Amino acid sequence: MLKVNQLDKTYGQDKHSLKSVSFTAQPGEVTAIIGPSGAGKTTILRSVNQLIRDDGGQILLDDQDIRQANKAELRKIRHHIGMIFQNYNLISPLTALENVLHGRLGAKSTLAGMFGLYSTAEKTEALALLAEVGLKDYAYQRCDQLSGGQQQRVGIARALMQHPKMILCDEPIASLDPKSTKIVMDILRKLAREKKLIILINLHQIDIAMSYADHIIGINDGAIVFEGPTAQVNDAVLQKIYRQATEQKAKVAANEA
Amino acid sequence: MKPKYTSPQQFFRQRRTRMGIVFAILLAIYLGSVFLVKFQTFSSLAQVPAGLIWLFKTFIPNQHTTTYLGPIFYQLWRTLIVSISSTICAAILSLMFAVLGAKTTSPNRGFQLTVRFGASLLRNIPVVAWAMILLFSFKQSDFTGFLALFFMTLGYLTRAFTETMEDLDAEKLQALQAVGANYFQCVFCGVLPEAASTMTSWVLYMIENNIRDATLVGLLTGTGIGFLFSQYFKSIRYDAAGLIVLLIAVLVIVLELTSTQIRRAIA
Ligand SMILES: Nc1ncnc2c1ncn2[C@@H]1O[C@H](COP(=O)(O)OP(=O)(O)OP(=O)(O)O)[C@@H](O)[C@H]1O
Ligand SMILES: [Mg+2]
Repeated sequence: MLKVNQLDKTYGQDKHSLKSVSFTAQPGEVTAIIGPSGAGKTTILRSVNQLIRDDGGQILLDDQDIRQANKAELRKIRHHIGMIFQNYNLISPLTALENVLHGRLGAKSTLAGMFGLYSTAEKTEALALLAEVGLKDYAYQRCDQLSGGQQQRVGIARALMQHPKMILCDEPIASLDPKSTKIVMDILRKLAREKKLIILINLHQIDIAMSYADHIIGINDGAIVFEGPTAQVNDAVLQKIYRQATEQKAKVAANEA
Repeated sequence: MKPKYTSPQQFFRQRRTRMGIVFAILLAIYLGSVFLVKFQTFSSLAQVPAGLIWLFKTFIPNQHTTTYLGPIFYQLWRTLIVSISSTICAAILSLMFAVLGAKTTSPNRGFQLTVRFGASLLRNIPVVAWAMILLFSFKQSDFTGFLALFFMTLGYLTRAFTETMEDLDAEKLQALQAVGANYFQCVFCGVLPEAASTMTSWVLYMIENNIRDATLVGLLTGTGIGFLFSQYFKSIRYDAAGLIVLLIAVLVIVLELTSTQIRRAIA
C-alpha cells in the first residue's frame, strides 16, 4: 500500500505547489489523480519516487518511508517502482529489447549495468514481457521506429522488468490515439488486477479516469479536494475539482486587466 | 519582463524596424570597410581570369609528373594516418571531458567551468600557432604535427560533445534514474547511446578537417604531404606540386563520401 502523508512542496521562494497532500493507493487498484493543468499532479508523482525532492511529509510504501532512504536504499526502492511517461522516454537509438532490459539496472552491479551484461534468464524474461504487451515481433526494432502506442508498451515492459510493486504513470495516454489508449489502459488495469500492483496514474481525460480507475484523487491548486471510490464521483465533485480553476483564472485575468 | 504589444500591427511594425536597423548597420560596416581598404572591386575582379589561366597552365601535371607518384603517395599516407590517429585520440579524451563538463551529466559546477574554459582555450589557438609552439619542444617531426592537431581537435570535440549531451532530453535520463540506475549506468546506457550518432558525425568531420590542416602543419613541421609540397614548390617542380593539390582534393572528397556512408550505416 502507498500512503502519502502531508506532503509539501514549494518551488523556489513562493510557488507553493503541494499543500499538505495526503492520500492512499491500494494494490490491485487503479488510482487516478485528476485535476486542472498546473494543479500539481506531476509534482506528486515525481515526489513518490523522489525524482523531485519535496519539502516535508511522509511517503510510505509498505510502511517504509521513501523520504528517509539514503542513496543506496533509494536506488533499491526505485528498482521496485516502475514509471511511464507521456513522451515514453525510451533511449531511442536502442532496440525495444535493450530498453526493456534497462528495467534491471537498479538491481545490477554498476559495471554489469554500464556494459549491458545481462544474463540469459533476464533476456528471456524481457522477451516474454515484450510478448505480454503484444510486441513479440518488435524486440529488435529501434525504438524511434516504433509508433507512440508501441513505444508506450515498451515503457510498460521496462517497468514490469523491474518486478514492481507500483507503477507511476504520468499522463501515459496524452499523446495516443483512442485505439492505443484502450490497449495501454487495458494493460494497466490488467496489471493491477492480476499482479496486484499499485497503479497510480495522472490523467487529463475524465472519461478514461471514470471507466478505468477504482479510486480517484482530485487535486486543485496543490491541495486534495476529493478522494474516494470512482462511484462517488459526480458532477458536483468534478465541479469542485475543476471549477475553482476557472474562478482563479477569472481572478488572475481581472488582476491583469 | 513580458514584452507588451497593443496590437499585432504594432508587433510586426517593431519587428520590421528592428530588421531594418540590423540591415542598415551591416551595410554601413560593409561600405566602411570597402572605403578603408580602398578595395577596387572591379579592377581586381578583372585580373582573376588571367591569374587562373596562368595557374592552370603551370600547375597542370604532365606525363613526366608520374615519376613523383611514389613519394607523394607515401607522404599522403603518413598525413592520413596522423590526421586519423590525432582525431581518434582526441575524441576519446573529449568524451570523458564532455561527460564531466556537460550540464546534464556533470558531477559539479566546478567541472563544468573548467572543461568549458579549457576547451575554448585549446580551440582558440590556431593550429599553426600550436605547431610553432610545439616545434620548440618536439622539433620537426610527425609527432609535433600529431600533437598540434590533437590539441586543437581536443578543444573542438570537447565543445561539440558537451553541447550534444546538453541537448539531450533530460527526461530520458530521469526515466533511467527512476528505474534505479546510478550515475555511471545513466551515462553508459542513456547519454552515450543517445549522443553516439551525432558524436560520430563530429569525429568524421574532424578527420576530414584535419587532413586539410595536416597539410598546413606539415609545412612547418617538415613532415608529410605539406612538406613535400613546399619542397617541390621551391624547386620549381610546379607540375608535381599541382599533382599534390589534386591528390589532396581527391583524398578529402573520398573521405567525405566514405564518412557519409559510415554515417548512414550507423544512423
Ligand atoms: N521545476 C519547476 N519550477 C518551478 N515551478 C514548477 C516546476 N515544476 C512545476 N512547477 C509549478 O508547480 C505547479 C504544479 O506543476 P505540475 O507540473 O505538478 O502540474 P500538473 O498538474 O502536472 O500540470 P499538467 O496537467 O499541466 O501536467 C505548477 O504551477 C507549476 O508551474
Ligand atoms: Mg503534469
